[in-house]
Amino acid sequence: MTHDSALAPLLAVRNLTLKHRGESGAATILQDVSLDLHRGEVLGLIGESGAGKSTLGNAILGLLPAEFDRMGGTILFDGEALDAADSRSWGRIRGRRISAIFQDHTASLDPLMAVGPQLEETIRATNDGISRQDARIRAIDLLIRVGIPDAGERYHSYPHQFSGGQRQRVVIAIALAGSPDIIIADEPTSALDATVQKQILNLLRELVDETRVSIVLVTHDMGVVSDITDRVVVMRHGRVVEHGVTSSLLDAPREPYTRSLLAAVPRLRLSDPETRQEAGENPKSPQPQARHELAGTPPILLASGIKKTFHRRSLAWFPKGHGKPALQDVTVALEHGGITGIVGESGSGKSTMGRIIAGLETAGDGTLEIDGTAFDIARSGARNGLLGKVQMIFQDPAVSLNPRMSVGATLQESVRFGTVRPGSERPDVATMMDRLGLARSLLARYPHQLSGGQKQRICIARALLASPRIIVADEPTSALDVSVQAEIVALLRENVTERGIAMLFISHDLALVQQLCSAIYIFKDGKIEDKGPADFIFAHSRNPYTRTLIDARPRRFTH
Amino acid sequence: MRAFWKRPERGRAGFARLVLAAYVLLALAAPAIAPQNPYDPLQIFGWEASSPPGTSSGGGYVYLLGTDGLGRDIISTILYGLRISLVVAVTSTAIAALIGVTIGVSAAYFGRWVDAVLMRIVDLQLSLPTILVALIAIVTLGPGIDRIILAIIIVQWATYARIARGVALSEIGKPYLDAARLLRLPTGRIIFRHILPNSIAPAITLLPIELGHAVALEATLSFLGLGVPIDKPSLGSTVANGFQYLLTGQYWISLFPGLALFGLIASINFVGEDVRRSLDPRSRSHDA
Amino acid sequence: MTSAIVGRLSQALLVLLALSVIGFTGIHSVGNPVYNVVNIETATAEDIRNATIALGLDQPLWWQYCRFMSNVLAGNFGTSYIYHLPAFALVMSKVPATLELATTAMLIAAPCGTLLGLLAGRRQGGWIDRAVLKASVFALSIPSFWLSMVLILLGAVAMGWFPSSGRGPTVLLMGQEWSFTTLDGLRHLALPALTLAIPNVALIARLARAGTAEVENQDFVRFCRAKGLSSRRILFRHTLPNISIPIVTMIGMQFGGMLAFAVVVETIFAWPGIGKLLIDSIQLLDRPVVMATLTFVSVAFIGLNALVDLFYAVLDPRVRLS
Repeated sequence: MTHDSALAPLLAVRNLTLKHRGESGAATILQDVSLDLHRGEVLGLIGESGAGKSTLGNAILGLLPAEFDRMGGTILFDGEALDAADSRSWGRIRGRRISAIFQDHTASLDPLMAVGPQLEETIRATNDGISRQDARIRAIDLLIRVGIPDAGERYHSYPHQFSGGQRQRVVIAIALAGSPDIIIADEPTSALDATVQKQILNLLRELVDETRVSIVLVTHDMGVVSDITDRVVVMRHGRVVEHGVTSSLLDAPREPYTRSLLAAVPRLRLSDPETRQEAGENPKSPQPQARHELAGTPPILLASGIKKTFHRRSLAWFPKGHGKPALQDVTVALEHGGITGIVGESGSGKSTMGRIIAGLETAGDGTLEIDGTAFDIARSGARNGLLGKVQMIFQDPAVSLNPRMSVGATLQESVRFGTVRPGSERPDVATMMDRLGLARSLLARYPHQLSGGQKQRICIARALLASPRIIVADEPTSALDVSVQAEIVALLRENVTERGIAMLFISHDLALVQQLCSAIYIFKDGKIEDKGPADFIFAHSRNPYTRTLIDARPRRFTH
Repeated sequence: MRAFWKRPERGRAGFARLVLAAYVLLALAAPAIAPQNPYDPLQIFGWEASSPPGTSSGGGYVYLLGTDGLGRDIISTILYGLRISLVVAVTSTAIAALIGVTIGVSAAYFGRWVDAVLMRIVDLQLSLPTILVALIAIVTLGPGIDRIILAIIIVQWATYARIARGVALSEIGKPYLDAARLLRLPTGRIIFRHILPNSIAPAITLLPIELGHAVALEATLSFLGLGVPIDKPSLGSTVANGFQYLLTGQYWISLFPGLALFGLIASINFVGEDVRRSLDPRSRSHDA
Repeated sequence: MTSAIVGRLSQALLVLLALSVIGFTGIHSVGNPVYNVVNIETATAEDIRNATIALGLDQPLWWQYCRFMSNVLAGNFGTSYIYHLPAFALVMSKVPATLELATTAMLIAAPCGTLLGLLAGRRQGGWIDRAVLKASVFALSIPSFWLSMVLILLGAVAMGWFPSSGRGPTVLLMGQEWSFTTLDGLRHLALPALTLAIPNVALIARLARAGTAEVENQDFVRFCRAKGLSSRRILFRHTLPNISIPIVTMIGMQFGGMLAFAVVVETIFAWPGIGKLLIDSIQLLDRPVVMATLTFVSVAFIGLNALVDLFYAVLDPRVRLS
């Protein structure tokens, strides 16, 4: 195709069309898909949910479930048609020539077998006549190569005793066991934190350069594509939209869909705010920067010295006293009508903080004041009167709406039971639908009849209709496709600031937080690692952890 | 994988549904279609006791399936026994489901000590074999149809409670209930508008399976002589009555009522399996 | 791990304690056992009072319970009103018969069930799968008392291959009488064991089938395929260990259940075990024996469950090493 290498491609997909026989009839999952993969290159396969990219990966591995039918086209591996392979030929191909890495590192390993033996059995299955002794030596070598410290001692550890990143390293070692020509990596870093993601991607790139293995990298993340792929194929609705060398495709996309995908990726700006203002590209609301600590205007919400420990429930009759502290002495303030961000990786305690502020969770220690009124947050939100003061927007819109209530009923409930501010009339559901760009006809629908983006808009409407003065948004865009993400962010900015609501925006995405927030807190292991005005943090913070987070971002989308 | 769950079973479940419907109709129409009323001594001829199938009766009809040791027509005993078996099973299952689901959802919602106490009781009960619980209950309560119903309720409520609690707990963990709490909805509204409608499906799935268990349990207790009184026998006690005649070759007295009982339980179980499968989220195709 | 064991065992003990209270009050509210000891026709008021005092029935209920519990802990359940033998010794003398029956049934059920389930789960939707599923629903629908009768009708009355009741000749082995050591004893054992085994084959097969299907659909099995393992190795080294945990649990629980369900089968086949003893004693209001039997079955059942849970912990590294 466009790749003008004289060599024949290692893997060639030609006009592949696949149908899926579902209960509601057959649906075309792949339509006329063609691509080439050459030795020693990383090919990105990018698309939003439903693009058919994972199906293509499974088709190459010969692991499609029986209800998929090949309607046309072929997959050629080293010049031979894979679709003609029977189970015996697959036995010679899988593991030895084509191998895989899956997204969920926890589910990819047998929980009942130690990792060493799992690697060892793969080595013995994919290398004829290798002795047990040699297989074990090879296994330890591989574990060391993928960066497992103390590989010898940890040989007999079970998967649950490793961290997520280490488990994915073990999975990579297993994928390498048969010295394959191709690895199909299906979202290999999506379940990992940004910093770990970066390490794993670096490891994959090293392995490619070192062993000349080729990787088909299936992902939804433009950042991953820009970081390690050589070439990229953009897919949508089962078709190839565009393909080409990664750098030129990202620099000059030809198709509107690719352009919109790229435009939707949040970009982190490290330059000084002044220079940007000169360039006239400050997208932020005209709110003053968060300088409450300097300026002395009292914040609308002040949570100080918050401590929280979760108690683990055990097999015994009584829960145990000791647990891992989720929050240790954390202080957060929200400006009147401003958007404040909390950034952190999983397990940093950022969501717990949001839930404590909303009154959904009690705290072990600390004080919470809203507009000067203190709440006893050691008691449940229902008892101390905090519940109802703050509304929330949650991460996964699929489970944020009662599936048995129509959209209209859900929103009406919010109006009926929400707070009425003195001097203002009850908000109107229909007007709110218009404001959020939702058709009024959706009011009669049920959640499962809506798209993810629509559901999240309904959730925003529900929060706004209760007329709160504070809203906590906990990763409100993480479960959505990139293009929808941008719309939701824009809606939040407009509707929240316009109503003078103070918002706490919790996210793992630095760029998103920079776009929305005036002040940010960076959480790590239940403590505040860094804080300050957003622009200052990104341009000037010297905190090493903040720098690590910034460095973990794809370079192309950081300026 | 998913393809398997689709059609092949449909035919079987359809047939089972027909059989079950026929059972219910027969039970309803028993007084109208049964050749004799086995509870009425005037319609029973003692000298025709233990007649084999096909014997002509003094009442002007043929004992198609023979008579039992007291001279009662087996077909009629089956039809009347069916009524009792079904009434006992349906009543007890319905009440057990109602009580169990209410308790399970309450335990999940109120949490803390309410949950701890209720669930210890449930654990205690579910850790014992059903027949043992039933025996303990019946030994405590004494004989009688109402006691049998009570015993079956005691056996079954815990299953519903555990299932409903589990589902309710997972629902309570979902953000839409957090949103409901953030609106400070009244407790009743949260339970009845939000938790209950989303927790009821698994309980409904259990209904037919537990109905089958109830029929079998009542029959077993009656068989052991701890169930319904002998003068108004259910299917189980009818089989028990015939046991003593079995070894002398008068097989029909216990064989046919038992066959009717087996058919009833089997049709309920097949329908139950189909219901369970159709409500199992894993068997449904992707949502729109 | 240690705390899990302590927790599990203390839980089992509490369950037993609660059960003893329920059982004791239950049995107490049914009939007055005095009338089992004295002849109701001829006894004078004096006789009845003496008998009541002799049995300790004049004391308050809690006192009777405490005395009962201290006796239970000492293995003393009192004397059977009917047999005039120590109740506990009476129950223990019937235990080998029930154990023999339940063990035989499980030895039939566990391998058959596991094998059928594996075969069915491996090829979901295949003819084996559909046949196993269908047969299992039928097997679970047959009331065990009627199944016993049909087996008696076919195997004993019609064909005359097997005896219809009793235990047959027994041989003394390790201080107990056993049937399985003689051919005639085995013939006596065949029908009741089969009756107990059939529903359990179905239960275990369904569980094994569901487990196999679930495990085969998990990512790690897909990953095993992708990494080039043969399907035989996947089945025996990965699928089987992963489904064995629930199956072992099920076998343990069902074995305990068999001790209880033996009630029906033993009554029909006149098998002289604890189940028959229990039903007879309930009908004769022989309280010490009822209590001793229920206690034994409950302790056995709860003990078995606790053992199975701990075994589970040993099998699963996620529990063992946490």
